[in-house]
Amino acid sequence: MSDTAEGKPGCWVNGDLPANVRVGINSLIIGDNAFKRFRSKCQPALVIGSNCTMDGVHFALCEEGHAEIGDFCYFTNAVLLCELDLRIGNYVVIGWNATIADSDFHPIGPAKRIADAIACSPLGKGRPRPEIIREPVVIEDDVWIGPNATVLKGVRVGTGAWVEAGAMVTRDVPPRKRVLGNPAQIVGDV
Amino acid sequence: MAQRRLSWDWYPGTIPDNVVMDETAYVETTFSFHLYRSQESVGVRIGRGASTYLGTMFDAGPRARISLGDYALVHGARIICDAEVDIGPYALISWNVVLMDTYRLPLDAPLRRRELERVALRSPRSFAAPVPARPVRIGANVWIGFDSCILPGVTVGEGAIVGARAVVTDDVPPYTIVAGNPARVIRRLNMEEMSHEA
Repeated sequence: MSDTAEGKPGCWVNGDLPANVRVGINSLIIGDNAFKRFRSKCQPALVIGSNCTMDGVHFALCEEGHAEIGDFCYFTNAVLLCELDLRIGNYVVIGWNATIADSDFHPIGPAKRIADAIACSPLGKGRPRPEIIREPVVIEDDVWIGPNATVLKGVRVGTGAWVEAGAMVTRDVPPRKRVLGNPAQIVGDV
Repeated sequence: MAQRRLSWDWYPGTIPDNVVMDETAYVETTFSFHLYRSQESVGVRIGRGASTYLGTMFDAGPRARISLGDYALVHGARIICDAEVDIGPYALISWNVVLMDTYRLPLDAPLRRRELERVALRSPRSFAAPVPARPVRIGANVWIGFDSCILPGVTVGEGAIVGARAVVTDDVPPYTIVAGNPARVIRRLNMEEMSHEA
């Protein structure tokens, strides 16, 4: 380890971190919009390990959203949409414009969706929103996720898996498999 | 060489010295060179009447050579290049398109870990692992729809169309339409429509 970086506290280059965000040593969060959609009230809401690079990442955590990210992760302009729980391991790489979401944000049933549209509207003041499906997303160590890829709710991406650029991941990815396509299919081993 | 700025630019950057631009070419913003690191004698060549708009990023490594042919229109593509990305004349490339000739990181997890440990100590935090790059070639007169990805080593043949959100993993034959993820040929284009008034 070089001594230049050792011991430097993690920070958000563009501002002061929200009080419920913990960032490990030598981790950098870069970008004006990192916390533009950050509304989590959890304590803590977001925990990032050490030696991470979060360049242009959007931490869109809703009020009950909680996310944990390990050490030595490198995300470029990823969008993390979190209504419940995101767990990301160590040495995870997420490419440009990739999206990780632990919810579909609206209910499936047509009547419930009408109720949701009203609750979300400027006329919906205080009206409760219908239940939406939220399922934690787990991304294990050494996963690589390519640019423009999407990982949806309830998915576990296994250790060392390789999610190809543009893949739409709707089901679990076994460890050390390469997946591709919409919906993502296993196309080989890593 | 005098620093080249763009009078209409919102970003306080310059056009790097090893970017060769025809005087009729248009670059909307020098922010497109924010990640540019090419040390080649010509890192980017932009042809006559070619243009790049907001969102286009020349994410170019030290050995990168990127070429935009005459009248090529790049409307916000991410060009991830460590060797060669060649865009032919009259190509039309939409927003959020990814053209990548490299994965930037080793496929092997232990080697990838080592590079992630090193990059955390660099400033700026750019990858520098020796990962093989395979040139991407976009032929003349190709049209690429939004959000598509062109993976390393792919050649898109002359006159082809890549549908929106396609992920192109293999070469695209000339004058075909490909779509889907992974992309498949869905139609062949009628060559009789080729005559145009220049």
